[in-house]
Amino acid sequence: MNFSFDVIWHNLPYLLAAARWTLLISVAGMAISIVWGVFLCAARISKNRLLANVAALYISFFRGVPLLVQLLMAYYMLPYVGLDLPAIAAAILAVGLCSAAYTAEILRGALQAIPAGQTEAAHALGIPGFSLWKRILVPQAIRIGLPSLVNELILLVKVSSLASVVGIGELTRISQNITGQTYRPLEIYIAAAAIYFLINLVISGLGRLAEKRLQAG
Amino acid sequence: MADTTPKSNGAGEPIITVRNMGKSFDDFVALRDVTLDVNRSEVLCLIGPSGSGKSTLLRCLNFLEAYDAGEVRLDGELIGWQEGVSPRKARSSGTLRKQRQHIGMVFQQFNLWPHMTALENVAEALIQVKGMGKAAACEKAQAALAKVHLSDKAQSYPANLSGGQQQRVAIARAIAMEPRVMLFDEPTSALDPELVGEVLAVMKEMAAEGMTMVVVTHEMGFAAHVADRVAFLDAGRLVTCAPPADIFAREPDDARVRSFLQTYRERNVV
Amino acid sequence: MELDLFVRYGPALIRGFGVTILCWAAGSLGGLVLGFVIACLYRWSIAPVRWVIYAYVEVIRGTPFMIQLFILYYGGPYVGLVLSPVQAGILSFIVYGSPYFSEIFRSGFNAVPKGQVEAARCVGMAEATILRRIVLPQMLVPITPPLTNFFIILTKETAILSVVTVPELLYETQTMAAETFTYVEPFLVLSLFYWLMVIGTNWLGGRVEARVTRHLKRA
Ligand SMILES: Nc1ncnc2c1ncn2[C@@H]1O[C@H](COP(=O)(O)OP(=O)(O)OP(=O)(O)O)[C@@H](O)[C@H]1O
Ligand SMILES: [Mg+2]
Repeated sequence: MNFSFDVIWHNLPYLLAAARWTLLISVAGMAISIVWGVFLCAARISKNRLLANVAALYISFFRGVPLLVQLLMAYYMLPYVGLDLPAIAAAILAVGLCSAAYTAEILRGALQAIPAGQTEAAHALGIPGFSLWKRILVPQAIRIGLPSLVNELILLVKVSSLASVVGIGELTRISQNITGQTYRPLEIYIAAAAIYFLINLVISGLGRLAEKRLQAG
Repeated sequence: MADTTPKSNGAGEPIITVRNMGKSFDDFVALRDVTLDVNRSEVLCLIGPSGSGKSTLLRCLNFLEAYDAGEVRLDGELIGWQEGVSPRKARSSGTLRKQRQHIGMVFQQFNLWPHMTALENVAEALIQVKGMGKAAACEKAQAALAKVHLSDKAQSYPANLSGGQQQRVAIARAIAMEPRVMLFDEPTSALDPELVGEVLAVMKEMAAEGMTMVVVTHEMGFAAHVADRVAFLDAGRLVTCAPPADIFAREPDDARVRSFLQTYRERNVV
Repeated sequence: MELDLFVRYGPALIRGFGVTILCWAAGSLGGLVLGFVIACLYRWSIAPVRWVIYAYVEVIRGTPFMIQLFILYYGGPYVGLVLSPVQAGILSFIVYGSPYFSEIFRSGFNAVPKGQVEAARCVGMAEATILRRIVLPQMLVPITPPLTNFFIILTKETAILSVVTVPELLYETQTMAAETFTYVEPFLVLSLFYWLMVIGTNWLGGRVEARVTRHLKRA
C-alpha cells in the first residue's frame, strides 16, 4: 500500500473541525480543574482534619482510577442518579474533576516550595493573612507551578481522546469515522497524531512564553 | 627563569617525567610547556592561585584529561597516548586502565561510592579490576583501612562517616591498589577545619613510608613541613619548583610567588 | 448489590484481570528495557542519532496513547503488521512507555556525580563495570519515585486497551454491564479495583525506595 497524502488533504477540514472539540474539552476541563483544584488544595492543607482527609481521599481516588473508567461512570451513572447532562458536558466534567486532583497536588507542592521565611517576614511586618495569600503566596505558587500546570493542559489534550469512547465527535472519534468510510487508518490516524502534536507544541511554546513573562514581571 | 630541575635532596631518580606538556580547553590554554620530574619516594606539593591549572596538571598525569602537547611518562612509559604515533592516538582502554592502576588519586570531594560500605569501597576495585577473590579482597581492604586508622568503620556507609573519615577511606581505596604514585587534589579543602589534621596525619605517615606523592594543596603548613619540593603554578605555567625552605623561608625571587604567599601570611596560615 | 452477577461473571472477570496484568507487566517491562536502551544510545552516540531519539521522544509524548494504539492496530495490517489485540496492546504499551522511561533513565544518568565515575576510572575500572557497579546502583535512588509514578500511570492506561477489544478487566466489565443492563455496581467495583491496584503499586514503590536509599540513612 502506498501512503496517500490525498486522503489526508481531503479530510483535513473535518479533522480540524473536530480538533476544535478536542480543544474545548481540554480547555474547559482545565478551567474546572484549576478552580476546583484551588479548593481541593485549600481543603487538603486546611487545619480542619476532616476536610483535609476528605480532600486527600478525593485526590487519591481520582488519581487512582483510570480516566476512561471515570468517563464511563459519568456517562452511565449520572443519568442513573437523575442528572441528565449532554455527553459533552459529562465528559468535560469528568476530565475536570479528575484533573483537579492533580492540579491540587501541583499547587500544594508549589506552596511548599515557597520559603517559610517569607511568611514569617510578612507576619513580622504585620501583613494580614488574606493579603499574604493574595499578594505573596498565590502569585508565587502559580509561578512555581506554571510549568506543571502547562504540562497538565497538554495531558488533557491527550486524554480528551478518551471522550471518543462515549461518542463525542472530537478528533479521535472523527478520525475513527473517517477511517470507517475511507479504509485508510494509517493516513488518517497519523494526520490526527500530527494535529495533536502541533496543538501540544503550541501550548508548550505559549507556556514557555508565559513563564518568561512571569519571571520578568 | 624557572628552576625545574630536581634538587638532590635524598630522593630517588625520577618516576614521573613531564616534558613540555600542554593542555587547552578549546581556545583556552590551561597549561603550557610544563616540564617537571617527580622522584621516587618524593612528596611534591603543587601550589598556586585558583584557576592556575593545578587540578588540570594533576589530571593530566593519569590521563583523566588528555594533554595535547609534550609528554607524561611513568617509569619511562608514555601515559595515555600511543608511543611514537603521530598524530596522537589514545591507547586502548585496556592499556589505559592498566596504566591508571599504578596511579592512585584522591579527590577534594572524596567521591566515595555511597551505596557501598567503607570496606566495599576499598574492596571493589580489588575484585573488579585485580580479579581477587572476595575473601582475599576483603582482607586486603581491611589492611588498607587499618593503615588509615578506620578498621572500626569498615561496615559504615559513607553517609555515616565524617568528612575526614570519608577522605581517609578514599585514601585507603587508592592505596589498596598498591599504586606507584599517589595524586591528591586538595584533599582537605572540603573538610571542616577540625578534621583537616587527621587526613594530613595519614598523608604524613604515607610519606614516611616512602610513597611517592603529588599533592595539590592550600595547606602551606603541610607543604612547608612534609614536602620535599614545592612547585608553584601561575596561569598555566610552572613558575618555580624548589625545596620548601627556598620558597617559604626566604623571600622568593619571583614576584608572583611572593604576592601569593603574602596573602597566606596575612591570614596567618604559614 | 447483585452478588450473583459477580459470581456468574467471575471467571470472565478473573480472566480479564489476568489480561490486564499481562499487558501491564509485559508492556512496562518491555518499555523499561527499550527506554534504557534509548537512554544509553542517547548518551553514547553521535549527534544525528540523538536528533532521531529526541524527535521520537517528543512525538510519542506529544500524542495520545489511543491514537498510537490505533495506528498500530488498525494501520499495522496495511504495512504487513497484523497483530492480535493483545499483541497490539503490549507492543503499543512498549512504544508508548519507552520515551518516558528513557527520560527517567536520562535524568538518572545525569544525577550520578561525575566524580564518582572518575574515581572508578582512577582505580582502573572498565566502563561496563562502572555502569554496572557504580552508575546503575546509584541511579536507583533518584529514579525509583518517577518509575513508581510511571508504573502507576501504565496501570491505569491498560483500561484504554479495551477500546481495541483486548479482553482485559474493563472490557469484561463492560460486557457484563451491557449484557445485564447493570451499570452502577460493576463500575463502582471496577474503580475500587483499579484504585487498590494503584495504591498497591505505590506501596510497593515506597518499599523499593526505602530499600534503595537504605545506605543514605544516618545511623
Ligand atoms: N573541562 C574544562 N573545560 C574548560 N575549561 C576548563 C576545564 N577544566 C578546567 N578549565 C579551566 O582551566 C583553568 C585551570 O583550571 P584548574 O581546575 O586546573 O585550576 P586550579 O588551579 O585547580 O584551581 P582551583 O584552585 O580553583 O582548584 C581554569 O581557568 C578553568 O576554568
Ligand atoms: Mg583545582
